Amino acid sequence: MINNIAKNLVELKQEFVNTYDGNSQIQELIPKSTSELFPIEQSHLDLLHEFATKNPIYYNSFEKKIASVDCIVYEGDINKYWLNSIQHGSSKAPFSPTWIMSGYIGAMIAKQLGYSEVIDIGSGDGRIAYCAKILDLESYSVEIDDMLVDLQNLLTSTLDFHPYCADAIAFDYSSLNLLRPIFFIGGLAQMGGTFLATGVLDKINSISNLKQNSGWVFAGTLSQKYTQDPKNEAGWGTLIEKNNLKSIQTLSLPAAWTFHESDDVQYIFAESIQ
Amino acid sequence: MTSAEEISKMFEVESQKLISLFDTADSKNQMSIHEIVETYYQVMNMSSMATMLKAQADSEPREMIEKIKQTEKLISERFDCIIHLKIMTHLSTTIQELTKHLQSGNSGEKSKEQTESDAKLFEKLRQTMSTKEFVEQYEKGISHDQ
Repeated sequence: MINNIAKNLVELKQEFVNTYDGNSQIQELIPKSTSELFPIEQSHLDLLHEFATKNPIYYNSFEKKIASVDCIVYEGDINKYWLNSIQHGSSKAPFSPTWIMSGYIGAMIAKQLGYSEVIDIGSGDGRIAYCAKILDLESYSVEIDDMLVDLQNLLTSTLDFHPYCADAIAFDYSSLNLLRPIFFIGGLAQMGGTFLATGVLDKINSISNLKQNSGWVFAGTLSQKYTQDPKNEAGWGTLIEKNNLKSIQTLSLPAAWTFHESDDVQYIFAESIQ
Repeated sequence: MTSAEEISKMFEVESQKLISLFDTADSKNQMSIHEIVETYYQVMNMSSMATMLKAQADSEPREMIEKIKQTEKLISERFDCIIHLKIMTHLSTTIQELTKHLQSGNSGEKSKEQTESDAKLFEKLRQTMSTKEFVEQYEKGISHDQ
């Protein structure tokens, strides 16, 4: 079912791209209500809309029927966060969010795979951690950029997804008492993601019991604009092999930066080779 | 027409293009990003051609060798020492001014129109920053050659 929802979202995005005539820097949609194409609990959809409504990166929204689906379109701008990150050199990769719906679908897969905690690394506005919390997974959000963490703190009154303002490769993960965590690594391999993932993997592998129990989600791309990895996996093959991981599932989902791209983000779910 | 004549003619045409781009750079206080990139590509094109032709200097006519030397002098004295520095200063100033302007507008809520108008300035800032990176690569090349 989850794979179908993901496929339907990608198709809906394509239809949205063909009909969108606005000028916003970023834009995304969330279905208004549960439907055959999007069999998601209404209360969950409402919480996704609440995240967008409360989130200051979105400055406009409107209803639009796309294909046969009634949606709310959210228009946003993340330029000031980009400017802040390059001014302070705080982030190795600029904030570029995945779609809220993509975060939710990714969290659904994490739950289906049996993980109990989601840790959103390089979390931006914390949307993946927020989505995991909707699904009753415990969630934590680690972000180095203080301006973005301030933004996250505006959103925790709905659901507390535990934002931490910290460098993810120096963070003390043992303090979270994790049992069966899955780590979503923000950023493409080619955009600082490999450095970030390697640092976090090293930290987690040093904590007894977590090396075997942890899952990993890497955001990859098949776009020709980026150098591909000789071991494939949308840029992550070498890291996966080097860390004795195996890819168990791949999902294609839209993100802000793939709006004008034919290929969406490839989310690679991986786990330790037992 | 012999091959040597063809090369000489091509070198002359490209040299004229270079001089024309330098004249444009001299005549303007603010070059567009397109003009900046075009000028640097032509400088790099001529420098590569000069290096290649010098490598086969024995087979080149004396007149051709003289033209190559003139072009290298032109690039060194007119471009590297004057135009390149002017462009670097212009790009740095533009980045500073845009950054200051965009930061000053960050406080408080903005209308949809203002947000989308500022987004165009952010795009200009990104383009100017990446052009400066490109120009800095050229500067690194010059310092390695010295």
